[in-house]
Amino acid sequence: MMFLLRRLTSFFTVIFGVLLLTFLLIHLVPGDPVEVMLGESASSADRESLRAELGLNQPLIQQFGSYLHKLAHADFGQSIHTKTPIVELFKSRYPATLKLALLALIIGLLVGIPLGIYSALKASRWQDILVTIISVRLSAMPAFWLGPVLMLIFAVWLGWLPVSGMESGTSIILPALTLGFGLSAILTRMTRTSLLEVLNDDYIRTARAKGLPERVVILRHAMRAALLPIITIVGLQMGSLLAGAVITETIFSWDGIGRLLVESIEKRDYPVTQACVLVVALSYVMVNLLTDIVYKLADPRVRQA
Amino acid sequence: MLSLLFLSACPQSEVSQVESVKPIRFALAQMPLNLDPRYATDAASERVNRLLYQSLVDFDTHAKPVSSLATWQMLNPLHYQFILKQPLAEFQSRQTLNAEDVKATYDSLLSLKDAPQAAEFTNIASIKVMNPYVLEFRLKQPDPHFVSKLIIGILPKRLIQQQHDFAHQPVGSGAFSFVRWDKQLVLSRKRDAQPVIFTEVKDPIVRVLKLIRGEVDLLQGDLPPELVKYLQQQTEISVQTVQGTNFSYLGLNMQDPLLKQIKVRQALAYSIDRAAIIEKVMVKDTRAASSILAPEHYTNRSALLSAYEYQPELAKRLLIEAGVNLPLKLVYKTSTDAQRVRLATIMQSQMAKAGIDLEIRSLDWGTFFEEIKKGNFQLYGLTWVGIKTPEIYTKAFGSQFTPPKGFNRGHYTDTQLDALLANEDWPAATKRIHQQLPYIPLWYEGQFAAFHQNIRHYSPKPDGNWDDLATITRSATINTYAH
Repeated sequence: MMFLLRRLTSFFTVIFGVLLLTFLLIHLVPGDPVEVMLGESASSADRESLRAELGLNQPLIQQFGSYLHKLAHADFGQSIHTKTPIVELFKSRYPATLKLALLALIIGLLVGIPLGIYSALKASRWQDILVTIISVRLSAMPAFWLGPVLMLIFAVWLGWLPVSGMESGTSIILPALTLGFGLSAILTRMTRTSLLEVLNDDYIRTARAKGLPERVVILRHAMRAALLPIITIVGLQMGSLLAGAVITETIFSWDGIGRLLVESIEKRDYPVTQACVLVVALSYVMVNLLTDIVYKLADPRVRQA
Repeated sequence: MLSLLFLSACPQSEVSQVESVKPIRFALAQMPLNLDPRYATDAASERVNRLLYQSLVDFDTHAKPVSSLATWQMLNPLHYQFILKQPLAEFQSRQTLNAEDVKATYDSLLSLKDAPQAAEFTNIASIKVMNPYVLEFRLKQPDPHFVSKLIIGILPKRLIQQQHDFAHQPVGSGAFSFVRWDKQLVLSRKRDAQPVIFTEVKDPIVRVLKLIRGEVDLLQGDLPPELVKYLQQQTEISVQTVQGTNFSYLGLNMQDPLLKQIKVRQALAYSIDRAAIIEKVMVKDTRAASSILAPEHYTNRSALLSAYEYQPELAKRLLIEAGVNLPLKLVYKTSTDAQRVRLATIMQSQMAKAGIDLEIRSLDWGTFFEEIKKGNFQLYGLTWVGIKTPEIYTKAFGSQFTPPKGFNRGHYTDTQLDALLANEDWPAATKRIHQQLPYIPLWYEGQFAAFHQNIRHYSPKPDGNWDDLATITRSATINTYAH
């Protein structure tokens, strides 16, 4: 109970901090939505009139108060430029990001963990060196390079998949592979290192001495202890995937939350930027909360602490 | 009207009818932001709006205003009469476009607080409809360029009164009618129901791959030159280029003690090897510039000026004569666009030979443009797009036209030039600007379009418009890449 209370307090503190910081930063960076909307040739009177209409002439504290009041009533406002309600924007964008993030995570887990285990079991042999080379190379490949390379191979040369867009059901495969490969490389390295650390522990030696099959020793005993750092990495990566993989979404014309955030910053669309950052922060905090809970389940020492 | 009712009542059936003909798919770097011609300011919106709406006037190849929907007559410098051509044009709703619609469009523009175009029309005193074909504009002050400003797409009066959302559901009298706009924008050509689908693909490499793969049929502009060259090597792709009119330049802060000196500005002009840049890293048909308006513009035809040549030694000598301690340190601001940053680094290397140490600061577009408008710069790089009237010289260099009144962002003051601009002596004003260098002219970038070999009757235009979508066709040749 205390654990949940502590977590909820920190949850609301972080969200309030994010709201305040975003609000201040966005109003302090150069650029004015009124200028963007009216252009340079508009008269001062027209500028002031529009500024008043958008509530931008009020003191910052008043603007922030009014923003919090609206949020408390689940009113995110509307885009300054397109006048579309922000909730509507999220309804179309967030599911796309969620779908992409989950598929990328599945690819990362399915490729990364088995490869990491294999690499640890074959430590210092040629198989381990080969996996290490591949995973280091993959983690060093930025999405803006890997994405087009995958497009060239699977879309242009082989003609198996569409280059980009969201029109067909198979459109998600290439962006998910781009994100998933990067994640799998990190997970491979992390699994290998964690597993190698526990493989020399006494309790593993005991388990082997008892004649347990190697599969049971690795999967039931060693992996359970090796899992904790992997959970941390998965939690952090999932948070960043849910925040929208800006580059991957842009390259693959994937209409997710990351792309919306960048577009809103370019246009100085304050309400959309604020709402995006809030959703991103919420995603991170929720994933962190889930990670902590999974940690407790996985490690009895944390449960008792 | 019937058509409009049909559209709103049965969108799905309309869409399937339109998409039963194989659409022309056009990949854009940036989707239009607003299809209401009273609000549109970005290039993509203006280009699509030219397809959806018609205006009273348009421009010929020398940028002189020519009649589009109407002919005109100046009755006196404060009084213009416009006569709509017959038969009257029709809106997408099948209602005819008459003088009442023209008046309603311009009246609404004047009453809108947040329309960026409104400031251009504050000089209109009144608009009077004489009959369905004739209307008269009265001005507060004489304005010889008034007719050139009447390029706003005409909207139906009835829908203006209903405060229709033209931004997302445009209704015009142009060559195309609007079908739908969600993730893609779909238009249908009126004469043969040929659909055109606009899709946003931000990344230039992906646009190229989609064209090669056959996922799109056409793309125009917004590609780095190496990708254009790559497309030119593809047998199934046709690339067409044409000389452009969009003017790229280096802007200077004339309040900076160093840049105030004419010799320093001349040194900058002589320190850039335009010919080498154009040959190596620009699209074919790019040409060196000497003034904002291109040589074929009607104000330039009697007084062509030559571009500054690359003479680093002369540039260095001029700096020494100006009493500058070498190297001269200058800060150049530009956007984060990869091609802009690349051009900046090339100029940095060229200027180093003239004793100029150029520091490059690339900023995100919003921050960069705000810095320029506030005058927080020494040097910056920008491009004037779609400029047609010589008034740009007054707005960019007139002493009275510093922001927000105009675009004199460098705060240049020159009484001699002000007098020439006031007299509208454009050749002399252009020459004076060329000598005094409040801008360092760079080039007019070539325009290009790339499309599949089975696409016909499309060519790029000097200002980058997409007007040829009204004539584009697809030949019967089977496209082996199409899926």
